[in-house]
Amino acid sequence: MRILSLSEFIPEQICDIIRFTQYHGDRNINHYCGYVSDFISQVRYDDSIDGCVFPRSCDSTRIMNRYLSGVDKFVYQILVPARQDNLAINFFAKGIADYQKAIEGYYQQRIDIIEQRIEYINTRNKAIERLYSFLGDISYFGYISAIHDILKKPLFEQKIENCHMASNHGGKKVYLTGSFLSNLAIIDLIEKSGMLIVGDNLPESGRIKSNKDYKQEDDIYEYIAECILKRRTSPTQNNFQSILQSDLDEIKAKNAKGVIFVIQKYCEPYLYLYSVYKKMLEANNIPSVVITVSHSDDIGRAEMILETFADTI
Amino acid sequence: MKKTAAQLQTALMREYYTWFSKYAKGKRPEKKVAWVTAFTPVEILEALDMLYYYPESYAAVIAASEKEQDLLNESERQYLSRDCCSYSCCIEGCLQLENGPRGILPVPDILIATNNQCNTLPNWWNILAERYQVPLIVIDYPGDIMDQESAFDYVDKQHKKLIKDLETLTGKTMDYDKLRNMIANSQNSVSAWNSVISCLPVYEISPTDLFDGISFLITSRCKEATAELYRLMYEKLKEKPAAAKDQIPVFWLGYPLWYHPQRYLQEVLTGYRIAGSNYITWWSIDYFGNDSFERLFHAYNYTFLNLSQENRNKRLEAFISESGAVCAITLHNKSCKCDFVSAKNISIPQVEIEIDMIDRQFLDISKVKKQMDIQKDVLCSI
Repeated sequence: MRILSLSEFIPEQICDIIRFTQYHGDRNINHYCGYVSDFISQVRYDDSIDGCVFPRSCDSTRIMNRYLSGVDKFVYQILVPARQDNLAINFFAKGIADYQKAIEGYYQQRIDIIEQRIEYINTRNKAIERLYSFLGDISYFGYISAIHDILKKPLFEQKIENCHMASNHGGKKVYLTGSFLSNLAIIDLIEKSGMLIVGDNLPESGRIKSNKDYKQEDDIYEYIAECILKRRTSPTQNNFQSILQSDLDEIKAKNAKGVIFVIQKYCEPYLYLYSVYKKMLEANNIPSVVITVSHSDDIGRAEMILETFADTI
Repeated sequence: MKKTAAQLQTALMREYYTWFSKYAKGKRPEKKVAWVTAFTPVEILEALDMLYYYPESYAAVIAASEKEQDLLNESERQYLSRDCCSYSCCIEGCLQLENGPRGILPVPDILIATNNQCNTLPNWWNILAERYQVPLIVIDYPGDIMDQESAFDYVDKQHKKLIKDLETLTGKTMDYDKLRNMIANSQNSVSAWNSVISCLPVYEISPTDLFDGISFLITSRCKEATAELYRLMYEKLKEKPAAAKDQIPVFWLGYPLWYHPQRYLQEVLTGYRIAGSNYITWWSIDYFGNDSFERLFHAYNYTFLNLSQENRNKRLEAFISESGAVCAITLHNKSCKCDFVSAKNISIPQVEIEIDMIDRQFLDISKVKKQMDIQKDVLCSI
């Protein structure tokens, strides 16, 4: 099975998924997230993909079924709770079990190595966390590229290697925030502008944290649900306060001189978050800049914006 | 002596706006105040004697008063992108400048957002929570994607937790008889409103009256007076002449244009008459069930915008069929992705128009006129 997945909320513990990164789709839906639109294009037109799974976590994903109607592939939407309490964990656990059944039904394959996958994911995440703790010393481009590479591979082939030391060591320390960073050319530009990324809250990086160990007596689906929902929060989970607090703490702890916000156009959760995030940064005298991109391989006006920003911090 | 429709309307509006800053003159209500989204189970709040306000509705009022542009510009200065829902941008500007036709809404003690119409509203409510530093409760409604038993279990527990949280906030204990009565009031309001909108395809009625009239079903649905107001409205509508047969019946698929004096594009609809609209049915929610909790679940989990495309299509087909419309004006509302897809497979010709329900600058009227003329030519040649 080759199932394309859209978000950090899709449980990797159930089966192999290919994390969507970038696609040169020509699909253009007015006032609609370009990243999601490119995902739809890949599902529709890439014959190497035989299925897709995506959450209901924002307005673009909420209505995706409409744009995927008529696709003769496995198409599955997982309801991601809009809250993080125990009610949500129990509910999400049920959704994950249903997802497993749907895959088993469609692909006629029994899934019976979830525990093994949990163990592997936990080990992998610890390795990512360890590398994350070296940001500032290692090359961010190398680090994030390695993560993007492994997320496209089957789980048991995902091995995160040590990264090269940062060539721009001593650069101006910055913090990166936003949704999944589909175009790594932006990172290249940040580093070439003389800035050094010392932390982020990207879903594929800073938001990954080690899960508690799985115990035999745990309900396996509740365990997975809790691991996913209790991560550092995404704005789609409606707890902006926790994002603002944890990001500010990290920005200060790492002595970042500025913040770079990368937003997909028409991505409401991040647009709303940005309006309060920017004010929080201003209140703390931390300069920031926003790069708006319109699809998964766009870099917006990054080059000009980043050069100017590097000069001001 | 029984009150007239005008008296009932005035009383409901006075009650709703009493604590807006223009009228409150610096005073604060003694009751606890919640800001809620349009499909919040307000019967719970009403039974706990709370005051509740709808920022979305107020944004519509602001646009109708032609005051939205300065506020939209101000929201951009507050770093809220114009790509966001214009209801939220309008209110952000209003709160920042403390400027609106009725002042600003009374400061909330709590914010309650639901995702049974879209996921944007809970995001918006997060920035309100930052502004006022008050608790935010998000009620998560899975809709019809999840099996009914699991969905009920999840929603029911959230409703019960909401009651507990609001009891703590208000210091009051829920009176379940009162809650039952509030739900009955809402049901009566819905039923009376359904009679009102059934007149649209039959009589010569201005849709403006219905686009404006529905506001009471949104903000005051569990008040006893609302059903009576709609009953009187229905009696009056039945006295109108029959709908003109020489005009093309058209279905208005999407939001009213709140900034427009008629709430729809009357100026490009010569030769047409609006025979139906889905917006005016959105709050015709079904309080079906054996007890209060089942009724609240059915009403708020299965709202139109929380349905799968397949079930939306079925409902829309029924509405369009009842209206007798032979074509539709489908609004592609830049503020509401969730309504983009309402019009899939509706089986009548459609003219799709790019609009925003609040921002009047987001409309090319000459382009719309051309589209409507072409539509008329096509229909007349069939």
